[in-house]
Amino acid sequence: MQDETPDWEVERRLDAWAASQPPGGISPELARRVQDALKPSLTPVKPLPPQSTLFAAFFVIFLAGSAGLIAIMNKSGLHEMTPAQIGAVTLICAAAGILLALKITAEMIPGAKHNMQLVSILTLCGIGVFAIFATLFPWEIRGDFVAEGWPCALREITIAVPAAVVLWLVARRGAFFASARLSAALTALAVFLVVLPLQTQCMFLQAPHLLVWHAGTAVVLIGLGAVIGAYAR
Amino acid sequence: MGDGQADDLELRKLMTRYQRADPSALDELVRAVSPPLLRYFSSSRFDRNEAEDLLQNCWLRIHRSRDTYRASEPVMPWMYAVARHTRLDAYRKRRRLAAREVLVGAVPEVLQADNPDVHADNFESMISGLPDAQREVLIMLKVSGMSLEEIARATASTVGAVKQKARRAYATLRQVLGKDSGNAR
Repeated sequence: MQDETPDWEVERRLDAWAASQPPGGISPELARRVQDALKPSLTPVKPLPPQSTLFAAFFVIFLAGSAGLIAIMNKSGLHEMTPAQIGAVTLICAAAGILLALKITAEMIPGAKHNMQLVSILTLCGIGVFAIFATLFPWEIRGDFVAEGWPCALREITIAVPAAVVLWLVARRGAFFASARLSAALTALAVFLVVLPLQTQCMFLQAPHLLVWHAGTAVVLIGLGAVIGAYAR
Repeated sequence: MGDGQADDLELRKLMTRYQRADPSALDELVRAVSPPLLRYFSSSRFDRNEAEDLLQNCWLRIHRSRDTYRASEPVMPWMYAVARHTRLDAYRKRRRLAAREVLVGAVPEVLQADNPDVHADNFESMISGLPDAQREVLIMLKVSGMSLEEIARATASTVGAVKQKARRAYATLRQVLGKDSGNAR
């Protein structure tokens, strides 16, 4: 049977290892080199606004974008939906909007406090969307699944991409350390901004159509956002 | 870190003055913050010269992103967050160069408890063999003396996720040390 070293022994070894690490003292020349490199460009800067202000900015864009799109888009799908369907989709979009706006705010500020991992937020929202589409909408396929589906996916991409660009413009000041996470969070917020408007104008309110052409496109877009963020570094 | 809240308040004042373009605040910050940052880089698989280059690069990034610091937040997690990005970019650059240079074979990155090549007499190699995220947590915890909350902020993570990484690192080290002492008997 394999022995396991007790915790105190691991702790002792780690402390000894930490103590053996090179000291951090810096030479006066190195300090001067750093100071001389920075001083010519030392100008006053305005700190980023408080986290609450940044959150409000993202959430207002999300709300205004969603409401604006609903106002200008065809509402044929809205008349087909029951109050429970409208309420559930609105609720999940609002929850996703709040969580993602909070996450983006934390991601754009180095050293900010993070209350939830992005992967947890996306998993929760994904499960929510799946549960709503799968339980509140009928499981049937009417007409041509592909011919009726791809225009919805195209519409989602056409709206979500510019929305993500607008959100990026707001985030860019703090996005010096642009990462896959920030990019995925921005794309996810843009995607959720589109979900409700797309739903209100879609004529094919069946679970397979919604899961494949609406939710599936969203997953692909968020993945692409993450990849672009990772390569943009 | 570990020098307490008084130091953090002092650093916050310096950062605020630095944002207002006070050159003496920059001098004081460089003197106060560089030693722990250099130690962090030196502990992260970089030799002294590379660590000094990284420190200079890190200060350029700190300078360019100084507007993202807010006086209501602790200074060191912000500094370490910038340092962490500097270190990660240096790793990526090093990997790209290594990928171009090494055509055949690969260096194993992840420490496995059943890897017979890893021995307890070289604890440094055990630490080096841990996955990067776990090693980073150990460096911040043990070498930099940061709290879990500070590490979570610096690594853009949650306290729970940091705890989990530390637990996994400890579990792997326990196993490898245990296996090694078992083999020695």
